[in-house]
Amino acid sequence: MTTVPAPIHSTSDPRMGLGERLHGWAVSVDHKRLGIMYIAAGLIFFVIAGLEATLMRLQLIAPLNDVLTPQGFNQMFTMHGTTMVFLVGMPVLLGFGNYLIPLMIGARDMAFPRLNAFGLWLFVFGGILLYYSWIGGDGLYGLGGAPDTGWFAYSPLTSKAFSVGHATDYWILGIMVSGFGSMTTAINFIATILCMRCPGMTMMRMPLFVWLMLTVAILVLVALPVLTGAQVMLLLDRFLGAHFFDPQQEGSVILWQHLFWFFGHPEVYILVLPAFGFISEIIPVFSRKVIFGYPLMVAATVSIAFISLGVWAHHMFVIGMPPWLNSLFAASTFLIAVPTGMKMFNWIGTMWGGRIRFDTPMLFATGFLVMFLFGGLTGIMLAVVPFDWQLSDSYFVVGHFHYVLFGGTILAVFAAIFYWFPKAFGRMLSEPMGQWTFWLLMIGLTLVFLPMHMSGILGMPRRVYTYQPGRGFEIWNLISTIGVPFQIAAVLLLVINVVKSLKSGRVAGPDPWDAWTLEWETASPPPSENFRKIPTCTSARPLWDRKHPEDPDSNYE
Amino acid sequence: MSARDHEKIRGREAPYLRGVPESTGAPMIAAFGVTLLFAGLITSPMVMLVGVICMIVGFIGWIRTVFPNEALEMLPIGSEIPEPAPRFDANPRSERVSLPEEIQPYRSGVLGGLIGGIAMAAVAIGWGVLKAGSFWMPINLLAGIFLPSVEAANVDALKVFHLDWFITAVVIHLVGCVLVGLVYAIALPIAPRRPVLFGGVVAPILWTGVLYGSIGIINPALEQHVSWRWFIASQVAFGVTCGFVISRWTKVPTMQKWSLQERFHLEGNRETKP
Ligand code: HEM
Ligand SMILES: [Cu+2]
Repeated sequence: MTTVPAPIHSTSDPRMGLGERLHGWAVSVDHKRLGIMYIAAGLIFFVIAGLEATLMRLQLIAPLNDVLTPQGFNQMFTMHGTTMVFLVGMPVLLGFGNYLIPLMIGARDMAFPRLNAFGLWLFVFGGILLYYSWIGGDGLYGLGGAPDTGWFAYSPLTSKAFSVGHATDYWILGIMVSGFGSMTTAINFIATILCMRCPGMTMMRMPLFVWLMLTVAILVLVALPVLTGAQVMLLLDRFLGAHFFDPQQEGSVILWQHLFWFFGHPEVYILVLPAFGFISEIIPVFSRKVIFGYPLMVAATVSIAFISLGVWAHHMFVIGMPPWLNSLFAASTFLIAVPTGMKMFNWIGTMWGGRIRFDTPMLFATGFLVMFLFGGLTGIMLAVVPFDWQLSDSYFVVGHFHYVLFGGTILAVFAAIFYWFPKAFGRMLSEPMGQWTFWLLMIGLTLVFLPMHMSGILGMPRRVYTYQPGRGFEIWNLISTIGVPFQIAAVLLLVINVVKSLKSGRVAGPDPWDAWTLEWETASPPPSENFRKIPTCTSARPLWDRKHPEDPDSNYE
Repeated sequence: MSARDHEKIRGREAPYLRGVPESTGAPMIAAFGVTLLFAGLITSPMVMLVGVICMIVGFIGWIRTVFPNEALEMLPIGSEIPEPAPRFDANPRSERVSLPEEIQPYRSGVLGGLIGGIAMAAVAIGWGVLKAGSFWMPINLLAGIFLPSVEAANVDALKVFHLDWFITAVVIHLVGCVLVGLVYAIALPIAPRRPVLFGGVVAPILWTGVLYGSIGIINPALEQHVSWRWFIASQVAFGVTCGFVISRWTKVPTMQKWSLQERFHLEGNRETKP
């Protein structure tokens, strides 16, 4: 242990060489750096998965196209889906959690800083292991062996007979390793939130984002081990000749679906609840109003998480469950709409009558509300069993969940990037470029995903590498693909914006948005110890209280 | 809550009050090792081997950053909490008591076990030298718990030094003593009245009785050669020494009277409004 006071933050000294600085990042256990690395790695995977999606859209731009082979198309949608869910969504959101939770609760670091680093690197190496399948999937020297069984890897496609080579094994092991990382991070979040809050920060004074991350961490710990267990069973099937998922040997293919979706549906909420958290922080600040119905928001969060554990079989309406069971799962799915609706109303209630400033973060937050509403509504439609029987495994479903995942999660992540970038790097992102990014993205989203609902209703199945002309699919697919360049332009613009602003952006100061939560109390970027003195908290808006001693919130609690 | 407990909670520092964790590459190396370990399943055993090595190196490096003291970069003086110490509502407590309210820390058990182990070994070797005519006899007999070769050996073989038997015996002895020492540390505070008497004499006699009945199955070699009186003596030597060492330690209060919230530091910092 060092006992001599050492200069803090020495690893970011500008006089240091690139190598030294990289080393400083690699060995860091500081939650802020780990958070930034999580987000950066996630965004790199976002670009990769985006390229895979672009290839798929190019293949589908016209009937009987041959940009990709059928096999290549299968690999693309598998790697795209897997990457987006496990290597983009989770890590970026966990990265924000990592960066923000200690700052928001007035702590110096996570409860287990080294476990935190361990989790990050497990995720990174797990992702690399998955992508190594391009090299190693068909045996070490055969190229192009990426997994091709879909991101939910339904059996019996994954059995030895249908999935030759090691591609599926790479899928299992890569996801499993990065899953271990997510579990350790979840444990860290729970311990940090329960044990490290600053004096005065009671549970009911925590920022909503922290509440949402606590809930997400618990969901991760409940759901992810089920996936890991199923993956271990699959490994046993593949390596040691077990028969868990082999119907010819008394195994069950449906068992995989149950196990997978018991993880898979909560996973959807693992991906959207943090987004809810971003929105709940951003909307009040830019509406200049206290969040409407804080206790209700907390209760809704917890009940969404709870109900989401009991609805998994709505992904399985078409497997032939007994009708009463279908009805049961349809009913429980409808039930989720209640707390979700409450949240929508609370956000709108917060904006209602506020003095709204449409800075870029707020624009994205508003975009989120619209897109998520649409995705939620089509979700409710899919929960109607006869409707699902018609449209299951059609492009309608693809349209639905992209509205939710892209229009929900990714828009919220963009909002969060614009909102917290000044905190993390001390400089503002360019506002005009941000507005351009927003509109390009909204146009792109609508062009790409809205027509999918149409082609789906017309009967286009998902996961086909091409289609016959003359069925009415052409125009919708053409529009879909035309939307892609808009999205690429939006992402490029964000990258340029980030690079430029890092060098020459307007200096932000500690509190550029006039916000209320504790992370805005310290310098931007925060020193490695976060706060020179540990702050104290007197209400749910501690910074308001400090700015307005004449009329503090604590008087009204 | 007693005034003492109040003091204790108030005195508890917020984590990382005076320093932030030092950087370390160990978790990264460990994560790399874990990944290679899994990758080895589908590539080659060599990859797995490298993975295991990285994993062990990483975990050891990691452990060394937290034991015995967490490696911290110290903050300049004056960064600590400026505010008055957090206060707690005085919760009305239920009347239920559960004992013990204080225990010896677990590390006292480890030390007690080790010192007791020395006393026990001294007695056992004393028996070996005085009665059985060999310094190595008790050690070899002990190794017989694990090594089938000992059982097959004749008395002459039992009386001379064997390196492998010796190492086995030392490991068994150390692990056993530390574990039993821990059990003592946990059990002593709830033992009736005179802990050293109970832990040092009564318990060894009970325990020897159990062994007497079952030794034929566990270690037939020992059963053939052992002298039970000396055996009891060595057990008592262990028990008394171990109990003595443990009971010298200052007791620490258990957390049982704290509310769940206090144990988790939940709501622990609530201030009362004016
Ligand atoms: C309002 C809440 C929601 C409802 C009622 C809902 C309902 C449904 C239903 C019934 C399906 C099954 C469609 C089928 O396979 O035939 C489905 C599929 C899907 N949903 Fe949602 N959903 C909701 C929210 C979300 C969210 C928030 C996400 C992601 C962030 C999401 C992502 C997905 C995905 C990825 C699928 C595709 C599963 C597959 O590949 O078959 N959903 N949803
Ligand atoms: Cu679902």
